[in-house]
Amino acid sequence: MAELLAKSSNGNQETSLWDLPFPSLDALHEACGAVPRTRDMTAGLEDIFLLIKNPLKVVLDPITQPLSWAIDGALAGIMSLPWWIMIPAFLIITQLVTRSKKVTVLAALSFLALAFIDHYTYAMQTLAIILVCATISIMIGIPIGVAMSRSDRLRAGVLPLLDMMQTLPTFVYLIPLIFLFSVTESKLYGIAIIIYAVVPVIRLTDLGIRLVDKDVLEAADAFGMSRNQKLFGVQLPLALPNIMAGVNQTIMMSLSMVVIASLVSAPGLGALVLRGIAKLELGVGIIAGLGIVILAILLDRVTKAALVRVDHATRH
Amino acid sequence: MNRQMKHPKVSVRNLYKIFGGDPKRMLLNVKGGMSKQELLEKHKHVLGLEDINIDIYAGEITVIMGLSGSGKSTLIRHLNRLIDPTSGEILLDGVDVTKLEQDDLRTLRQSRMSMVFQKFALLPHRTVIDNVMMAPLVRGESATAVRGRAQDWLNRVGLGGFEANYPNQLSGGMQQRVGIARALCSEAEIMLMDEAFSALDPIIRTDMQALLLELQRELHKTIVFITHDLDEALRLADHLVVLKDGRIIQQGEPQEIILNPTDEYIENFVRDINRARVLRVRSVMEPVVTGGSDDHIDVNSTLEDAIEKAKGSADHIFNVTKDGKIVGSLQMTTVLRALVPRRVNKD
Repeated sequence: MAELLAKSSNGNQETSLWDLPFPSLDALHEACGAVPRTRDMTAGLEDIFLLIKNPLKVVLDPITQPLSWAIDGALAGIMSLPWWIMIPAFLIITQLVTRSKKVTVLAALSFLALAFIDHYTYAMQTLAIILVCATISIMIGIPIGVAMSRSDRLRAGVLPLLDMMQTLPTFVYLIPLIFLFSVTESKLYGIAIIIYAVVPVIRLTDLGIRLVDKDVLEAADAFGMSRNQKLFGVQLPLALPNIMAGVNQTIMMSLSMVVIASLVSAPGLGALVLRGIAKLELGVGIIAGLGIVILAILLDRVTKAALVRVDHATRH
Repeated sequence: MNRQMKHPKVSVRNLYKIFGGDPKRMLLNVKGGMSKQELLEKHKHVLGLEDINIDIYAGEITVIMGLSGSGKSTLIRHLNRLIDPTSGEILLDGVDVTKLEQDDLRTLRQSRMSMVFQKFALLPHRTVIDNVMMAPLVRGESATAVRGRAQDWLNRVGLGGFEANYPNQLSGGMQQRVGIARALCSEAEIMLMDEAFSALDPIIRTDMQALLLELQRELHKTIVFITHDLDEALRLADHLVVLKDGRIIQQGEPQEIILNPTDEYIENFVRDINRARVLRVRSVMEPVVTGGSDDHIDVNSTLEDAIEKAKGSADHIFNVTKDGKIVGSLQMTTVLRALVPRRVNKD
């Protein structure tokens, strides 16, 4: 390397030590064309991705297809029913889940306000996407969390991955997904939302099971419980408050991701926000943003009220 | 009944437990005579149990007593193999528990050994009655079939009417009654009790001891009871095992241990007890029928009873009776001598 540097500075001997370039890939490339540039490295990454894209697609496409069906089905379902069925239906579900009049009244006011300012359709689309993605996240996340709680080695391997999934800028997920799937497919944003939202339910399931009282587990062992009896009879019920906290977080993160997912054609309130940014329609953006806040408050209150119920049921 | 005539229900044979990275290799050192201290300092391994041999007989309460760190909780957990031994055998009716496969071990825990815990360890999300039904439900019996039996046990421990409550709504003493009902409802022949009453207030603890003795008179379970409390040990034990630093330093009939401590450690232990109330006539009487008296006293009376009956007189002689027959005689001078602790010879 010293030789190369010497060669590159051969022409102008006057160069002082102050201007010595850092021997980065680009600097070395200037001296000798055989050394690749940094852009070649990123281009190489793209080439590799393009190379494995097709085989990857063959595998991923059928696996993820049900996600498209679920999201499209939910969107179509919510749209096909009139508002005077949908709103009462949601309120009844809210009441059943929370058993709290206050939360149900809050939900009624939220829905009516959104409908009154003609944001009903957008809000329902957003809600449909969140419900599908959060449900799938929970279905994936709880088994992974259980597996992690049982194996320290698996946990050590998965935790950094979860950290990365949470800290990677959300837009970065979208780039390889756009390569893989067509922008018209709803699973494109579905996958992005799930990757982002699945993390808290995994973490809190693992944590919840690890926090179960060791004495109670020993008693379960002493009375000869099998692994499954322990899991379903002791560990999961006692971890339920923590798991529910994870579910709450997962739903909230789905909501924040569904806005970003509007960049890749996710419908709903996020699309309105995007329109506000793209066309500088300040009012549209702000009102849609406030609509998202209302949805966020609603989802948070409903899941927290459910959490309180679960807490009471396990603690007494 | 003579202990030597019966086969033991559970036999612990040459049991060793070493905690650390390579217990099997350390076992050779320990068997070669290395001390607990040396093992810890040189090899960073903890000697939990060293050469434990106990015979546990059916229908008896075997009490294992020791201070904290003596290995008593480790020992009881070997019996149902919540802890695996480093070496040694645990024979239950001749079958070595340490060699059981997982499935057989689970069956054993479900139906042959039940356990009561110091911190109760009830399932907080299930009602009292569901907790009591735990063992049969784990075995796969249907809840409807078991409920009546569970209710009977709950009534038996004095908790009728609390079946729909949750454990955290009960006091400590009541929770441990649930723990005992849970162990009894498994209908296992062996009951392991790990410091079962240690977390309770003194008065409640005495009540629980009485409850246990009352149940035992009726049920004749094989009970292994762990405690650090000598009074509790003496009240409950048919056979007493004293553990110190993972080793048995003396075992036998409690009366025998009080009268003839073989070790300074035990001597210190028994010094402060009320000997008149603990010692029985049978332990100090002479098995000769002199017939020189008209006064009778039962073999199982305490020395306190004898002193009271003799009205403080020091030269009274009793005829000792067992089931109405005279089996020996008791001189009050012997009684007085027995009240003074014997010193272990230090020269």
